[in-house]
Amino acid sequence: MTEPRSPGMSSIQTAPVHADSTPPAVEMDPVEYTLRKRLPRKLPKRRNDVYVNMKTDFRAQLARCQKLLEGGGHREICVHGLGLAINRAINIALQLQASSQGALQLAANTSTVELVDDLEPEDPDEAGEPMTRTRNNSAIHIKVFYPDPQGP
Amino acid sequence: MTEPRGQMKSSNATSSAVMELQSASGQSNFRRVSRTEDSSPYPIPGLAADILHMRVKEGSKIRNLLRFATARMQGEGKDSNGTLLRQVVFTGSGRGVTKTITCVEILKRKVGGLHQVSKLYYKTVKEVWESQQPGAPGITMQRTVPAICILLSKDPLDPQETGYQPPPNPKCSHRGRRESVCSQLPSP
Repeated sequence: MTEPRSPGMSSIQTAPVHADSTPPAVEMDPVEYTLRKRLPRKLPKRRNDVYVNMKTDFRAQLARCQKLLEGGGHREICVHGLGLAINRAINIALQLQASSQGALQLAANTSTVELVDDLEPEDPDEAGEPMTRTRNNSAIHIKVFYPDPQGP
Repeated sequence: MTEPRGQMKSSNATSSAVMELQSASGQSNFRRVSRTEDSSPYPIPGLAADILHMRVKEGSKIRNLLRFATARMQGEGKDSNGTLLRQVVFTGSGRGVTKTITCVEILKRKVGGLHQVSKLYYKTVKEVWESQQPGAPGITMQRTVPAICILLSKDPLDPQETGYQPPPNPKCSHRGRRESVCSQLPSP
């Protein structure tokens, strides 16, 4: 699972962890847990920020960016993508650049986003305790902009 | 940028026409013979020709890529030629892009103090499809896939270059170390 999604529920069986190299600090008994993915931490949102996801239609997201640059009067927009949506964010940025006949430039930055999962015991009578687990996912932030005519 | 896509469109049109012909006879008789990627120069200017180039593919294992790259950057294994590299470039395309970024992010946390320049571009892939029916002509298709090229350097890079990222400050790298411990937790 690399893409962020709304905190849906999926039932998993936490089998005993591999007892080889990993330290036994997080040893789990085979209690049923529900894995709940929290939404990614809320990020700043300016008017020219576009957060790309995999649920919305690709053309709609591309059109939204085009509208911001052409109709919205923005000199630059920022396209963000997390996990699986990185590919789509890159695609949108490259499409914008290609359709501008070279007028637009791209500046890509990468980062790591910390995501939190909640583990809730399925059966409240069991001794299982609610846990959280942190994992990392990659993200991309692409600035799509018209370069200044008077140089950098 | 527009030219290869124009070609792709025309070759797509021919291929779909032939595919229709094939499906009319009830079978698709095409086999991919070869797949060649264009060996375009790096989109980042001023790179040495002998720079360590990590080509990240869809099926590459991150641990293999990173074991190799960290050994050349940090010299943990004291490799044969003994010289530590100052720069490394990662490229990936299509579904390998996410993996490329993940590799770079992990390497940045491991090595620390790395300057980064990222570039996005379209990569042209030429595919030759051959008909299995004797006498029928083959098809050449040109497809464009999004790709990324990331340069990591121990030496400072030009901050005016588009896509430049300075190394994260030490406070962040400390947090990064804790993150990397967390990421070692077993996953279901």
